[in-house]
Amino acid sequence: MSEKIVITGSGIVSAIGNNRQQCLENLKNGFSGISEVRYLPTVHHEFPVGEVKLSNSQMCDLLGIGHSQVYSRTTLMGIMAVKEALAQAGASDTQNYMTLISGTTVGGMDVSEQLFSQGMSQDDCSNCIATHTCGASTNAIAAYFGDTFNSTITPSTACSSALNAIILGSDLIKAGLAQMVVAGGSESLTLFHLNGFKSLMILDTEPCKPFDEHRKGLNLGEGAAFVVLESETHAISRNAHILANISGYGNACDAFHQTASSPNGEGAFLAMSKALSEAHITTQDIDYINAHGTGTPNNDQSESAAIHRLFDDKVPPVSSTKSFTGHTTSASGSIETVISLLAMQEQFLPVNLGWSTPMKDGGIIPITESRKASLSNVMCNSFGFGGNDSSLILSKYTK
Amino acid sequence: MNWVRVRKDSVVINGNMLATESTGQAMLKEVYKKCIGDYPKFFKMDALCRLGFVASELLLQQESPRVVNTEHRAVILFNRSSSLCDDRNYQETIQDSDNFFPSPAVFVYTLPNIITGEISIRNKYYGETLFAVLKQFDAREIHDIVCEAFLDSMTLDVITGWVDCESDDDFEACMLLVARDENNFTPEFINEI
Amino acid sequence: MDNLQDILKQQIIDALNLEEIEISDIENDAPLFGEGLGLDSIDALELIVLLERNYGIKIKDPAVGKEIFKSVNVLADYVSKNRTK
Repeated sequence: MSEKIVITGSGIVSAIGNNRQQCLENLKNGFSGISEVRYLPTVHHEFPVGEVKLSNSQMCDLLGIGHSQVYSRTTLMGIMAVKEALAQAGASDTQNYMTLISGTTVGGMDVSEQLFSQGMSQDDCSNCIATHTCGASTNAIAAYFGDTFNSTITPSTACSSALNAIILGSDLIKAGLAQMVVAGGSESLTLFHLNGFKSLMILDTEPCKPFDEHRKGLNLGEGAAFVVLESETHAISRNAHILANISGYGNACDAFHQTASSPNGEGAFLAMSKALSEAHITTQDIDYINAHGTGTPNNDQSESAAIHRLFDDKVPPVSSTKSFTGHTTSASGSIETVISLLAMQEQFLPVNLGWSTPMKDGGIIPITESRKASLSNVMCNSFGFGGNDSSLILSKYTK
Repeated sequence: MNWVRVRKDSVVINGNMLATESTGQAMLKEVYKKCIGDYPKFFKMDALCRLGFVASELLLQQESPRVVNTEHRAVILFNRSSSLCDDRNYQETIQDSDNFFPSPAVFVYTLPNIITGEISIRNKYYGETLFAVLKQFDAREIHDIVCEAFLDSMTLDVITGWVDCESDDDFEACMLLVARDENNFTPEFINEI
Repeated sequence: MDNLQDILKQQIIDALNLEEIEISDIENDAPLFGEGLGLDSIDALELIVLLERNYGIKIKDPAVGKEIFKSVNVLADYVSKNRTK
């Protein structure tokens, strides 16, 4: 059996808090971060969003970055979360050593938009978009940390990007190609994708209601989260405190439609099955599922079908914490991994807000009352357009 | 190991040049009509997707019998420009506040990984799919990530390569089909393509 | 090519990049979705944008779209009754 991949640090910035502690408190107290749009300059105030409650200049101040420098919101949030993760792992001083893998899709698009609204011509705007591709934001995050990172990779698999970043990081370590990886994702709200999701008609004008019969769609959110990954041996050799281990993961393709999930949730089913088999555990060992649960009619139906196929009538507690953070798109996989990690460490089940009516076609009944629970194995799902479905299992670490 | 290389003015399959009369987007369309056909969705794809689709079709035509409907094939692609080309097109649909009609069909292609999805949908591949953006073309990195994909015992072969589309008429793709025990798959081989 | 049916057909062909389809290939009564033209949910959304852009018709609920995209005749009827431009 190959060596255990362990998590030794985590960092998170989301609508429910600028760090782990704030996010944890709001999760426990059931306080959602979804509200009327405040920072994004859009006319679409009818759509509630999960914004990080800081302006870009406030983030610059927190990070000691001069206001004259142009940093995208994606980069700033990413830096905050990476910084917190490195500090917890006791790895802030490592030099030229780690790989940074950051999943994102919109990258620095917010900067492009600001420049355009300030009167940039169309050609200039297009040129600006060229310098703000998603890879550039990862490189900018790495640059903030000086010599810490010696390479960067930007997985871009839509909404499952950040979970795939963690999977890719684990694989890199398993294959002996990296010793320590900081993996996750960052994504800011932009007019670009707010209008895009609006055109797909899957945004709810009310706070989202994952797995509810009357769900109308998702609320977009933003944020960043990262975990520090290393092999068990490596963590022990540097006396790092191990928070949990990654015991299994699966990445499968739904091969059905670009933006719609198949009715029987084939991709999701395959991804979860793979994760279980890699972890050498059974469905009975899963204590909690942090669902992808976007609140769109299509996702929640398809994911329910996949979970029922796999878990039969013994479905463990399930919730979608997108009801707290909004759908943070490319960052959602890592934000929800860190939320799952916090739930394991603090031994509680995060609830699914906004739910009241069971789905008619036998959907998942999520947990709505927070409660203490001993969690040994937690499954975290993340699915993306393009049928890019992934599932990850975190396990309580034992030597 | 089968491979193809598609540039704006040439198509090479396993080292043999495919005769074409046009360049750029017109060439992709020409190759679609001459060698592929019967998949009208091609016309809805953005430039990046058309490029990746044409390359994958030419690659898979070399396989006999062509493998479809499997969980054992992964699709792992890379580029540098992400979905830049379609990002520009979509931006145009939301540029002008008096003519503000965000196009859902264009928006969809602002996700670079839609190409891995399109190849999987076309061939019913249920295995791993990944799209990663690198700083620049890096054969070593591509090689390493593909080797890593074989850590998953489900994965028996991988369609991989570089699919980069800077603008409608400036693009490059190289694509290979790598089997689990393929000894010739090395960074040097990727560089030679 | 003057009647609304044919105008709509041409607009559908252009908006959805149906390159290998001619106006004469689309029957007035044939279903637009399902088998026929091979259209999918993204195409439906694109048609909703088309209606707003060309006819000033705003559709908020995709389910309404499903009803009016049954055939070119149904669509033409809806457009003639609801158009604001």
